[in-house]
Amino acid sequence: MNDTLRKALLPSGLSDTLMPDAAFEADMIELMLGAFAAWGYERVKPPLVEFEASLLDGPGGAIAAQMFRVMDPVSDRMMAIRADITPQVARIATSRLRNAARPLRLSYAGPVLQVKGTELKPEREITQVGIELIGSTALAADAEVIAATADALRSVGIAEPSFDLTMPNLVPLVCAAMKLDAETAAHARTALDRKDAGALQALTGLTASQRTVLAGMLSAAGSAESCVGALQAAKLGSAAEALVRDLGTVVSHVRSALPDLRLTVDPVEFRGLEYQTGISFTVFSRGVTEELGRGGRYPLASGETATGATLFMGSVLQGVPARAATRSLYLPFGTTAAQAARARAEGWTTRAALESDASSRSAAAAQGCTHILEGGAPRPLPSRT
Amino acid sequence: MASTNGNGTVVLALPRGRILTEVLPVLKRAGIEPEAEFNDSNSRRLIFGTNRPGLNVIRVRSFDVATYVAFGAAQIGVAGSDVLMEFEYPEIYAPLDLGIGRCHMAVAEPGEMVATDDPTRWSHVRVATKYPNITKRHFAARGVQAECINLSGAMELAPNLGLCRRIVDLVSTGSTLRANGLVEVERIAEVSSRLAVNRAALKTRPDEMRALIESFRAAIHG
Repeated sequence: MNDTLRKALLPSGLSDTLMPDAAFEADMIELMLGAFAAWGYERVKPPLVEFEASLLDGPGGAIAAQMFRVMDPVSDRMMAIRADITPQVARIATSRLRNAARPLRLSYAGPVLQVKGTELKPEREITQVGIELIGSTALAADAEVIAATADALRSVGIAEPSFDLTMPNLVPLVCAAMKLDAETAAHARTALDRKDAGALQALTGLTASQRTVLAGMLSAAGSAESCVGALQAAKLGSAAEALVRDLGTVVSHVRSALPDLRLTVDPVEFRGLEYQTGISFTVFSRGVTEELGRGGRYPLASGETATGATLFMGSVLQGVPARAATRSLYLPFGTTAAQAARARAEGWTTRAALESDASSRSAAAAQGCTHILEGGAPRPLPSRT
Repeated sequence: MASTNGNGTVVLALPRGRILTEVLPVLKRAGIEPEAEFNDSNSRRLIFGTNRPGLNVIRVRSFDVATYVAFGAAQIGVAGSDVLMEFEYPEIYAPLDLGIGRCHMAVAEPGEMVATDDPTRWSHVRVATKYPNITKRHFAARGVQAECINLSGAMELAPNLGLCRRIVDLVSTGSTLRANGLVEVERIAEVSSRLAVNRAALKTRPDEMRALIESFRAAIHG
């Protein structure tokens, strides 16, 4: 093959988004940001690259291994390309917006770059759309973020998102209350995260009653109300029980706002959410095999607390119903500027002939137009099948 | 392609071969009976219905069960813990040890080598295996770099033909090792078949998936 095609090869995990997908994605992002704006979230736009030390601060530490680094020849300091926007918004909130009134509601959208994709999710450039709600410890804040995220998903046509509530801290608190040694606790946490009942049974260093409590937490996962009930009945230690009470409050807040929302609780999951502290959540949708997004509460470097949500556009778009093709009008050579302007003013997408062609109709079809301007009026072209 | 996602059917992936004969009685006790053609080994079909409406079964290679379930092409499956350990797919939950297909994974080498070999001095080993990830992790944990030669079967031949000295493979009775003059030197893990469930399926259809898991639980404990 020729050299031009060889140069089209992109590094793994990166791709060109073509028409009409690129425009569609941009429209969906705007719709979601609009839904967040309706809840009072204002948009901020941090840069793509920052000093490494700033990106690693606070919630950024957890994804250090996922960031590309590049040396800044101007300052001689190491810069990193963002792998997540949340740490940047957290930095803005605690620095330039430190005097802004709390609670502070911010939204954002933009691409991030990650060092490694996985076999299941090979993309390394991911477009994130999200919100952060900074400076409120109220559980109503956790519920608001979930409800606003559900609204944003509805705005793009994902009618039945499913929110899975988790508490990344719960298993560590329960293990601490049981006074498990660090190694046993780590093994228990991994086995529970993978829902690996076999590994939990095989784990040495647990008493029979401890095993029963952990296995009970594993099997409690499921619809929100029944899981909260099961957890409240279990003896988990005072710190964990307080967290479970918070969970119950968030579930009832969300229920009263959105009675029909599909809400589940997974008390033993913590993957990838190391920096989160209170109630976290993962968003799924039927028919999409990846997470649509994640969110939860995390501490800021300033000592404040924040909660937020991030949606991944690549996954969200898999769940969005396809849009009907847009109508477009072919303007044969010789169409006047006034006629063309009138068609556009009427809402047509126009494609103009730039030189005379043998057959306007076949040129129109080749350009993918649905209509052609003939005798001063748009006429439909036979649809191609 | 059959509808396998969204609101459609649930697909159960089963491993072909040795494990399948152990899985079928469990399925039966769980109240799941594949249509008759499933048991016809001459059938060219790959996807079969069951007595449960909305539940289909597929037969694939044991390594592929994990892949089908991880990608959500099958919502649930029966996979060996060796396969789950090898891939470590974060999208797979293993909520149930089915207690079938029991064996273990071990390092083996020629009997005459054992006498002279001092594993504490190793910095690098070459190993023939179909589990390169497990092998690398196992040796890395004690500071040894493992260079793996990927084979998909008949591992026991490798030391005899000089491909490399050591293998990592599943051992059930040990007779294949003995017949080929190999000695087990280290046990890496116990292996048994697990019920594997796709994470997104469990989150988005919790009641349906939990009912299925419970029927398997009843089948092995009942």
